[in-house]
Amino acid sequence: MKSLATLFGESPFEHIVEHARKIHECVNLVRPITEALLAGDMKRLEELQNLMSDTEFEGDKIKDAIRQNLSRRFMLPVSREDILTFVRQLDRMGDDAEDYAVVATFRKIELPPDLRQDFTGLVDKIIQTSEALLNLAEEMARLQKDAFEGSEAERVLEKIQDVCHLEWESDKISRSLARRYYSLPGIDPLTVMILDKLCRTLTGIADHAENVGKSLRLMIMRH
Amino acid sequence: MEPLLLLAFVVALYMAWNIGANDVANAFGTPVGSGAITFRMALVLAAVFEFSGAFFAGGNVTDTIRGNIVYPELFAADPKVFAIGMLAALLGASIWLNLATYLSQPVSTTHAIIGAVIGFGVVAMGPAAIQWHKMGAIASSWIISPLVGAFFSFLIYHILLRHVLHHTRPIARAQIAVPLGLGAMTCVMFYSILQAYYPRALHIPKSQGCWLALGTAVVMANLIGVAVWAIMKRRCNPDKPLGEHSADVERFFSRVQVLDACYLSFAHGANDVANAVGPVVGILQGLRGTVATQAVIPAWVLALGGFGIVLGLATYGYKVLEAVGHKITEVTPTRGFAAEFSTATTVLVCSLLGLPVSTTFVLVGAIMGVGFARGFGAIDLRVVRRIFVSWVVTLPASALLAIVIFKILSIWYL
Repeated sequence: MKSLATLFGESPFEHIVEHARKIHECVNLVRPITEALLAGDMKRLEELQNLMSDTEFEGDKIKDAIRQNLSRRFMLPVSREDILTFVRQLDRMGDDAEDYAVVATFRKIELPPDLRQDFTGLVDKIIQTSEALLNLAEEMARLQKDAFEGSEAERVLEKIQDVCHLEWESDKISRSLARRYYSLPGIDPLTVMILDKLCRTLTGIADHAENVGKSLRLMIMRH
Repeated sequence: MEPLLLLAFVVALYMAWNIGANDVANAFGTPVGSGAITFRMALVLAAVFEFSGAFFAGGNVTDTIRGNIVYPELFAADPKVFAIGMLAALLGASIWLNLATYLSQPVSTTHAIIGAVIGFGVVAMGPAAIQWHKMGAIASSWIISPLVGAFFSFLIYHILLRHVLHHTRPIARAQIAVPLGLGAMTCVMFYSILQAYYPRALHIPKSQGCWLALGTAVVMANLIGVAVWAIMKRRCNPDKPLGEHSADVERFFSRVQVLDACYLSFAHGANDVANAVGPVVGILQGLRGTVATQAVIPAWVLALGGFGIVLGLATYGYKVLEAVGHKITEVTPTRGFAAEFSTATTVLVCSLLGLPVSTTFVLVGAIMGVGFARGFGAIDLRVVRRIFVSWVVTLPASALLAIVIFKILSIWYL
């Protein structure tokens, strides 16, 4: 019967990976922005901010598409709420990345050389977290084909733990960094303010990445 | 009366054509979609197994449609009314089918014919003409069969996941699971054929024939199971690296699924042929004035139904199969196996009990069973609801049509 073919709706998992990819694209832009920031290249920062807001907007479109496919019409292998949390937290990662791009354009700052290494270290850690998360989302889509069972599922659960660990590490770096820029003699207070805002958006990305990981865990564990 | 009989044959053929045209994709959609067999091969197998099911195992349900919905004895004084009524039912059901297909609503031939038979029975002899207790059993089987299909496929898929696909040695486990599945299929299929064949061929009582059939079926199942086990033992290597297991297991099941589809076709033919030829048996009896006696279902009537089904899939069913096959790629071999195996078994057991059920209903139930085991990305419940609603509408609608046609035919022939 023809209606049998229409019984299978569009799976949300492909879109979930697409969303994660787009958001990772946003987070990846943090690196060139940081480079431009350290070089004091305001024109480049402006360009990158535009690119960021375009990318974030594309992410929003994917997010809306996922939400539209989540009506109660469909019987899904995971809870609808967990998918919503996943999408919401992913979206906030994108928002934070965009905030970072915006804050970077506020004012040309001169980052003291001692802080540079720690600051780029933090940026690296954040990008690493986002990368780990993207891998997770991709494995998740594969896992759906295995009905969320087996050793593969166990491995994904372990990898979620890794994302949490990366978040903790980035928190640690940002705290020690904050201690240093608040106590550095002779630093411009406005630079400190900008730095503080930048670090907050960066740790925000990691925080939300951790939450995305947690929503993945709920998807795998509970029905 | 000859024109009446001719009309009955034509309409029965049309009903059978409908069954073949719409439902062949149920069974062979997934193996064709997954590329396990060619389109042409699928058509040949579907034709062979639909026909065999109808011809060898279609008798019990046919008898139900003829004699277990209304009391045929009530018409002993005026058997012509029974013949006209059955013809009206057949016509009403096929008109409703046509209408529903035109409105692209999913509709079950089973529900259409039963609604129509009830309709004519009530109008011809009053509500007391209906064997309500048996109707109760049939109606509950309509609710229970999809649930059983769902439960069964959930269980099978779950077992396959836990104990085969995600076991530490999937290929070794598949070497046990595949022969077991094939053996079970063989057993039910052989039993369905032989329980009807033995009593007739060997002239022994039905109960004795059933035991004999069961014995033969179990022996055959063991033979097939052991043979498959031996072949798999020789051909596959369970000591491969674990990463290659999953693809291998799916490949085994894609072959099993072809047989699974044959099994489902067989079950479908056995259950659904009755929708076309059940009334024909009634009409024949009515015209011969033998309504009150136990009907012996002529083999050629079942053959006629089987022929109609094959005709349907040859002339139109292939289009549906083509359309469905491309769309249900999400059904991997193991999932398809779980859903089709449980559907076919449920439907065949219902056929043996003489219960007319809807194959599509049971299959939808079974697909949802795999869904409950988290097997699918998204199942559209709106489609499920639509199928359910069209079931509820079909009963009164085809009953009403049968009543109208019965009244019209009565003017001419009675």
